[in-house]
Amino acid sequence: MQPPRACEDYLSEFRHCKSFRNRFHHYYTYGTAPSCQQWKADYHNCSEWERHKLTEAKDALQKSERRRLEEQKNFTPVWKLRQAPPGDWHRPLDQETQQDS
Amino acid sequence: MGQTKQDEEYGYDLFPERSARKPTQITIRDSLFTFRNKCQVMLMFAMETSPYAKLLLSAMKNSGCKVFKDRHFSCEDCDGTVSGGFDAASSQIVLCQNNIHQQAHMNRVVTHELIHAFDHCRAHVDWFNNFRHLACSEIRAANLSGDCSFSNEVSRFNFGLKEHHQQCVRGRAVRSILAVRKVSLEEAQKIVDEVFDSCFNDHAPFGRIPHGNKDAKFAYREYVNRDRYYMNL
Repeated sequence: MQPPRACEDYLSEFRHCKSFRNRFHHYYTYGTAPSCQQWKADYHNCSEWERHKLTEAKDALQKSERRRLEEQKNFTPVWKLRQAPPGDWHRPLDQETQQDS
Repeated sequence: MGQTKQDEEYGYDLFPERSARKPTQITIRDSLFTFRNKCQVMLMFAMETSPYAKLLLSAMKNSGCKVFKDRHFSCEDCDGTVSGGFDAASSQIVLCQNNIHQQAHMNRVVTHELIHAFDHCRAHVDWFNNFRHLACSEIRAANLSGDCSFSNEVSRFNFGLKEHHQQCVRGRAVRSILAVRKVSLEEAQKIVDEVFDSCFNDHAPFGRIPHGNKDAKFAYREYVNRDRYYMNL
């Protein structure tokens, strides 16, 4: 097992999160300041996991990522998801245009 | 779909070349010197360089809806100031070659319409009869495509700061509905209000609201590495 992301990814996400541009856009979108500490903690845990194979670091990191995923699903979908793509997506166009399929 | 009433009801009258059903004779002169060629070139550039577009194309391919430029995109002349549209009936994204003149605009329109196509691909979206579905996809497209970025809003002289993004998303979703369906402003606003919370928080496939190319690149990186991500949770 390895960390879900490369450790540099956590660091770059942290830095990006704290950047003026991101803080500005977060305020513009949500009216609040972003919270970036979790990325920093994740970076720390990722390094500990990779370098020292610490179980607590691994567990903390995985827990943090699972929470992030949960937050992504924080809504009730308006529509039903498909089990398969639409059957006519690749159907050739039946018009006399220059397009080919 | 040849009846005028039905065309008007679903917004097809904005895209006159769709319902003409006449073969378009494209001469060499046309393809070298008209908007169509410029549109095609800008489209290709968008698909190859915009991280927003690349992520959506990748996500669609993985959902079983691989996008072929020649089959799923169509550069056409459109009415008014509309920039593009998604035609679920033919599974095509329409790009209004007479209204898109800058690469940044093309990137945004491609992203916006690809979000509709992505929704069509992964969900049972009833484009023609369910206004909530239509509103939801429009909210997502305005939210995630960069349509409502601060700089875009300022260029439209819409000055606002705290949570202005959300106001912009609501407004653009209402406008998009009014452009293609015969409903009143109040009705459109009510529908958008009903589904806003759900759809504003649905960030698929980005995993975040991309505020610019850097965000979109991070989202793309996340997407490309998702196998490793899910395997190690």
